[in-house]
Amino acid sequence: MDKVIKLTKIFLKNSFSNMDARMGISSKSKSKILIYGILFLYFAGLIIFLSYNLLDGLISIHQETIFVGMILFMIFGLAIFQTLFSSINILYFTKDNEYILPLPLKPYQIILARTGVMLIIEYVIIFLLGLIPLVMYGVLTNAGILYYITMICSVILLPILPILLISIIVMIIMSFARFTKNRNRFQLIASILLIGIVIAISVATSGTRDNLTNEEMAQAVVQANGMIEIMKGYVPTVDYMVEALTTNSLFIVVINIFKTFIITAVGLVLYLIISQKLYFKGLIGNLFGSSTTTSNKKINQEKYQNSKLYKSYIGKEFKTLARNPVFLLQCLLPAVLIPILMVFVVYSSLNGDGGLAESTIKMLGNTPTNSFLIIGIILGIIQFFTMFIYISITAISREGSNAIFMKYIPVSLYRQYIYKIIPNIIMNIVTIIISLGIAEYILHLPVLTLVILFVIATIMGILQSILMIIVDLKRPKLNWDSEYAVAKQNMNLVFPVLLSMINIVIIALMVYLFKNINVYLGLAMLGCLFIIATFVANKYLYNNQNELANKIS
Amino acid sequence: MIEIKNVSKSYIKGKKSVDNLNLDVKNGEIFGFLGPNGAGKTTTIRMITGILNIDEGDILIDGKSIKNNSLEAKKSFGFVPDSPDMFLKLKGIEYLLFMADIYDVPQEKRKEKIEELTKKFGIYDQLNNQIQSYSHGMRQKIVICGALLAEPKNWILDEPMTGLDPKSSYDLKEMMREHAKSGKTVFFSTHILEVAEKLCDRVGIINNGKLVFVGTFDEMKQKFKEETSLEKLFLEITEK
Repeated sequence: MDKVIKLTKIFLKNSFSNMDARMGISSKSKSKILIYGILFLYFAGLIIFLSYNLLDGLISIHQETIFVGMILFMIFGLAIFQTLFSSINILYFTKDNEYILPLPLKPYQIILARTGVMLIIEYVIIFLLGLIPLVMYGVLTNAGILYYITMICSVILLPILPILLISIIVMIIMSFARFTKNRNRFQLIASILLIGIVIAISVATSGTRDNLTNEEMAQAVVQANGMIEIMKGYVPTVDYMVEALTTNSLFIVVINIFKTFIITAVGLVLYLIISQKLYFKGLIGNLFGSSTTTSNKKINQEKYQNSKLYKSYIGKEFKTLARNPVFLLQCLLPAVLIPILMVFVVYSSLNGDGGLAESTIKMLGNTPTNSFLIIGIILGIIQFFTMFIYISITAISREGSNAIFMKYIPVSLYRQYIYKIIPNIIMNIVTIIISLGIAEYILHLPVLTLVILFVIATIMGILQSILMIIVDLKRPKLNWDSEYAVAKQNMNLVFPVLLSMINIVIIALMVYLFKNINVYLGLAMLGCLFIIATFVANKYLYNNQNELANKIS
Repeated sequence: MIEIKNVSKSYIKGKKSVDNLNLDVKNGEIFGFLGPNGAGKTTTIRMITGILNIDEGDILIDGKSIKNNSLEAKKSFGFVPDSPDMFLKLKGIEYLLFMADIYDVPQEKRKEKIEELTKKFGIYDQLNNQIQSYSHGMRQKIVICGALLAEPKNWILDEPMTGLDPKSSYDLKEMMREHAKSGKTVFFSTHILEVAEKLCDRVGIINNGKLVFVGTFDEMKQKFKEETSLEKLFLEITEK
């Protein structure tokens, strides 16, 4: 067990090494701690606010125990979703796999350590999204110490089973890797397949949930209760822990925790037996299988043609993004998938209510003041969508140790920065076009408004791209063990969220301040504000191009 | 020609990784840069190539300062870094054409040059495959091809023989000799003393950030008054 703990620590350190260094108390860390502290407080505050409102409503109709069921199912569901995204990378695509395999370690030790990494990442997320609401419940219902002990047991035990279950599914899929002739393509297909499962589940569940929102509270409670009752049958551990959390009897608490513990332990034993048979076959197939189908095709004569440097460089960026499954899924695809998926989910469920929300939006759009409001909302939504495009924020980190290439080629660093952010700007524009297309379909906006919206959103996209590459240059994560560490386990990814939040606040302020002036004049002022900000950011990037690259060495 | 003038570099305040280095690598010369691990070889090479900023002094490549005229200086050399794991998702041909675009290799020359280099290193048939499917040695070869494509006057190679098979290693050494014979410069670091002994016109030995010896192998023997191998002399110099 000692080796498992040490190995887990090494895997975690490897994944979060840069983050550790940044979060350490030494060197300029106070301001960083402050930033993370503010972010944590912001999200924690948001969760407390939402939990309080929901709990307050439920307590008023004496149905507060439903809240516990909802949170525990959320913990279970979160573990499923998070593992679907992370397991394939943590189990199969980390660079250290090659170095770990020859070490004198037993298979179960490696499997347990890898699973431990997934579990610890899960606990961090659950601490914020699961533990805070459960503490809120305890506070608002004046729960005793028994509740809090049970709560900690729930948070520790519940995520284990879904992680084991999803990991087994991933291992089954990946065990086919050894039969494939092209492991890169297989990795991509396997990743897309898993994301497809996530999307399918989210579409299916969101439809049901949204249909409930406009029901009367009592009816919603009955339905939610019914749903939880149905799901309890499939997830007995959640059922036991709900019972343990909502009782005052010590005996019932102990029995239910014991039952959950036994089921989890049996699950773990089964997992170890199955995974020892599956994991290493897939891992070896993935590591040592043919990485690409070899081609003996003659090179076309046209291929030798000169290309402008910008085309060549940007083309290289796109090829690197598109041919890497993790970067494709985390950096390129969200630009297309997120607006379509979100709008599909929201719009289809709104239509289910007889087009009520649609007619409300149309009604809001009738007066000039409210048109400005609608425009502000659309810009805010676009901001929300584009914060998931991680091309610019990972532009330098993605290069890893190759980043030094930028410094010895005879191309100015500023030009290279611009070439690196152009894919981000292009994908931003794709998101903007999709979002505006949907907005036009729903609201039938005037062409001029669409054009202005496009221009302002594009300027904001350029600003975001420049600012994010500056962040990545100042805090590059160049030593990584898998692409996943750059595109997911990277604290820099909070900065696009932070910027989008700031932009949304600015938009809201402008909408409020300019509500009494002409819409187009207000929009022009908003546009000017972002043009100035973009100009300043670009000037900073240009003037400090060499200093910004100091961390690349 | 590479001129290193009073160059110093510190990573930690008060501790110089490279201390007041002075060195001229002349045209028509193969210069071997030797030293134990952590002596300052890679730091020096990274300063020559502009990857690291120079704290004190300057480096001129064909008379152009890497500090003040870096783009022009960078056009004057081809660099092979110590790790060949670059642009793994690109096909070999895509990488070489990308390098050709960066170094403005003319249309009429790039086909001829790519074919010549890749055939010499035996990787021509692999050009349509992604670099990640290459072995370590093949990756080293494609990076060397990329660096030599634009026919730079100065070659700067960090451990270029690592991973190369005997035939490719021999071919590279021959190319280095031809390059120097045509009046151009080769500056390379190596741990293989035998290669340095047989190939280099002069060697420089760096230890603890200081250049402890510069000269020919014969000069080294004379200086230490010993009729022995470079290996023994190297150990004597660096362990002093």
